[in-house]
Amino acid sequence: MIEQTKNSTFTIRRSTFLSSVWAIVWKDLQIEKHTRQIISVMIMFSLVTVIMFNFALEANLAAARQVATGLLWATILLAGTLGLNRSLGIERENQTIEAILMAPIERSAIYLGKVISTTLFTLILEAVLVLLFLVFFNKPFWRPQVLLILFLGTVGYIAAGVLITSMTIQTRTREVLLPVLLLPLSLPLVLPASMAVASYMFPQLPTWGEVQSMIMLIIIYDLLMLSIGFVTYHYIVES
Amino acid sequence: MIHVKGLIKHYGLNAVLRGIDLHVKPGEFVTLVGSNGAGKTTLLRIVATLLQPTSGHVKIGGWQLPQHASRVRQHIGLVSHQTLLYGDLTAAENLTFFARLYHLDNLQERVVQALKTVGLIARQRDAVSTFSRGMVQRLTIARATLHEPDVLLLDEPYTGLDQDAARLLDDLLRREVENGRTILMITHDLTHGLNICDRVAILNRGKIVAEIDSAQTGPAEFLELYTEHTRRKKKSKSK
Repeated sequence: MIEQTKNSTFTIRRSTFLSSVWAIVWKDLQIEKHTRQIISVMIMFSLVTVIMFNFALEANLAAARQVATGLLWATILLAGTLGLNRSLGIERENQTIEAILMAPIERSAIYLGKVISTTLFTLILEAVLVLLFLVFFNKPFWRPQVLLILFLGTVGYIAAGVLITSMTIQTRTREVLLPVLLLPLSLPLVLPASMAVASYMFPQLPTWGEVQSMIMLIIIYDLLMLSIGFVTYHYIVES
Repeated sequence: MIHVKGLIKHYGLNAVLRGIDLHVKPGEFVTLVGSNGAGKTTLLRIVATLLQPTSGHVKIGGWQLPQHASRVRQHIGLVSHQTLLYGDLTAAENLTFFARLYHLDNLQERVVQALKTVGLIARQRDAVSTFSRGMVQRLTIARATLHEPDVLLLDEPYTGLDQDAARLLDDLLRREVENGRTILMITHDLTHGLNICDRVAILNRGKIVAEIDSAQTGPAEFLELYTEHTRRKKKSKSK
């Protein structure tokens, strides 16, 4: 009997937690549907960056192809900071974050909702970027393994980014602080992610053993950042 | 319903609240008046679970804050001079989002009913950014009362409203009182402060210096009492 009660309480908590997460995601998607501010800004920035890289490296196409993986990640990271700033900045306008904080929901649900919505926006950007890199650098970025690494890397980057942005969003120098704090924090993620993507750029696909350690590092980073976010978000938004 | 005892709040070395005692009975409408910097907003934010006190006790409906903040949040609504609404969402989308955060059932019906109550049903599909200040404030009340809270907290709700909009807000607040809600309002607008409430408390330099029964006090007499209580404190400080 006690077990049944415990199970039902757990189910109710889980369903309210998930519905809170969905509420945050739904709201962010609705705002983006009306304004298209986050995706359009990220895509515009990325387009300009890729064209600049292409012109800069035009003289040496072989070199450009060799560094294409690094350029792809650099573009994602920089465009990602723009998306993060805007995604969390929405809550600062009219202090809507206070209305969310006054609702009887777990703070980790706010965190997870923001991670999911910002990840979705960044994945749309990456779909465009993969096409651009295919056109400009003619490398097999469309491979499913590459797309999986991009997805895993994005989750980790945004999980860390939502945490850092939530800390910096109330400061006057937030635009400067975010990249200064987030980019070094993302190094343990970006290094194995770009190496893993680079190993899929050759006609001969690598074996699982060759990329296993890199992909495991990315997954560990993702889990670590999501766990830290779950545990600490309460203190971050209420302090 | 609201019990505040010996409440102290410091920001660093600056003491903003210096031992507040305040009791608001169920169904009572209490207005807290005071000049800028008296500590009104800080007090309201502590009651709204958005701030933690340095020391002292706050109980709402028998629940101690901040320990039982998540339980208390289901029973309070906040109307602020900040809209706490998303300008890029429509009126209906804003209310749907907050109804989801409070896990309310019959979402559509509740949203439509709330919009009818505040007279905004015809504008339900319009973005909030296109609303006048008065319309936004009516929608803010709909948001704050959507989950039928027992306690309604009002932070300078008349800021920026013209006479017609202020009169409409008066009517809405009277309706909330008839619905049996306990209301705590803070304002520096003495006329509105006195007109629609049961009791007025005067806050000066972080302390409640007088409590006045509004039914037995005229506007002129109240103004005199307010001046006397706030001036006396300033004089005694200068000595």
